[in-house]
Amino acid sequence: METNLVAEAIKFMVLGMGIVFLFLIVMVYALKLQAKIIGKYFPQGETPAPTKPRTTEASKEKTAKIAAIVAAVQHHKNLKG
Amino acid sequence: MNKKILASMLLLFFTLFTTNSFASANAAPAEEVKHEYHEKSLGQLLESFYKTTGIYAFTNPSDDVMTSEAHAEDARVMTTFEQTWGRLIMIAICLFLFYLAIAKGFEPLLLMPIAFGGILANIPLAGIGGETGMLGIIYNMGIANGFFPLLIFMGVGAMTDFTPLLANPKAAILGGAAQFGIFGSLVGAVVLGFDLQSASAISIIGGADGPTSIFIANRLAPELLGAIAVAAYSYMALVPVIQPPIMKALTSEAERKIKMPKLRKVHKLENLTLPIVILLLAILFLPESTPLIGAFCLGNFFKQSGVVERLSDTMQNSLINIVTIFLGLGVGSKLAADKFLVLETLGIMVIGLIAFAAGTAAGVIMAKIMNKFSSDENKINPLIGAAGVSAVPMAARVVSKVGQEYDKSNVLLMHAMGPNVAGVIGSAVAAGVLLSIF
Repeated sequence: METNLVAEAIKFMVLGMGIVFLFLIVMVYALKLQAKIIGKYFPQGETPAPTKPRTTEASKEKTAKIAAIVAAVQHHKNLKG
Repeated sequence: MNKKILASMLLLFFTLFTTNSFASANAAPAEEVKHEYHEKSLGQLLESFYKTTGIYAFTNPSDDVMTSEAHAEDARVMTTFEQTWGRLIMIAICLFLFYLAIAKGFEPLLLMPIAFGGILANIPLAGIGGETGMLGIIYNMGIANGFFPLLIFMGVGAMTDFTPLLANPKAAILGGAAQFGIFGSLVGAVVLGFDLQSASAISIIGGADGPTSIFIANRLAPELLGAIAVAAYSYMALVPVIQPPIMKALTSEAERKIKMPKLRKVHKLENLTLPIVILLLAILFLPESTPLIGAFCLGNFFKQSGVVERLSDTMQNSLINIVTIFLGLGVGSKLAADKFLVLETLGIMVIGLIAFAAGTAAGVIMAKIMNKFSSDENKINPLIGAAGVSAVPMAARVVSKVGQEYDKSNVLLMHAMGPNVAGVIGSAVAAGVLLSIF
């Protein structure tokens, strides 16, 4: 009974290690392929990265402005009411 | 107008009051059964108070105390030992965990809540670990259904930078080799007499990945969860102690001094598409692991997209902190004497250690093999194989430290991060394989 279980566990090991390696090897090739594709079609330098911080900064500014406007309106209303 | 409202309110009160008095009149017999208060002398009062103290509970075990279970129907009668010495021993163990966390700095973020939860779970009479107790509620909320580990994975994804892996994808193979710790110790656990499901749950400790261990333990062997989680986290904390001797034993001094070429620059877009690529692969090959890998990729994708910084920030900080507290306390509830002080715990501790050591060794050996086959300008320092067990980023730091012991100018940290994050993916894949079997 016990040897049977051990044999079963060894089968798990073969299957598990096989799948882990298979997955990672496929992943390695997928990553290499994507690096090649990206390197070809989006050469380094014109990355969209610099635009990102700008938009977030702009949106932060916008929200700050909106907050200021809202506060001003509120203040005005309070004065009236 | 106002008078009308007042009158209707009065009427309402009147009706409520009368119905209530009728109801209490009907319920009178039940109240008799409930508890009738008798006059007591001060001595009697003191005595009855004494019977509700911890001192009494520890010294006078009774045989109608049930174990605290997250589901009341699973409860069994606690043995005398569990009620007395068992609880005290567990509280002492928890105090020792405090010592490790505070004085030694071993994974304090997890050991502190786990150990405190452990103390709470061992308090007699209060039933904090039961279905309606605080720990029981937390346990049912997120551990019994495997939810918290997934949230943690999300946060880990949001904190992880895949750049080193993208720069040198081959390093991922080392993350695979280290998973031998899991499957090797699976065989070991079966030899020791655990059934296949428990053995699988225990062996995941070798992946050095706390959330994954909890996720799997919960599916395959919930009764061993406490011991598995504590073993997993304590060995992760012991990475700087366990790994260096193994790394040194398996490598020559010349090998440890190998310098690796500088990593190439990685395109931002590669970082952005990586979680999607991994997720697609997981969907195609093993959907069973997609809860873990999916949560991980979600966190990483949000981080890399750069447009949802607030969400990514929440995952990396507030969310993961909240979940860590709950996860720790929930796991701590499994440190109750009746669950932890069983023979299996000892076996789990031993197998966990072997699993961890085997994973480290397999990673280093694999790195040596890869080094033999690589060209002179692409040398691989075998030490980085040790980072193939996940334990991000501790394992990579240890590799870097050991490398610098032999050559101050040799910085291996970034090189080791590659296998390190591959190890996270590898152990999630291994977990998926084990789940797919059962």
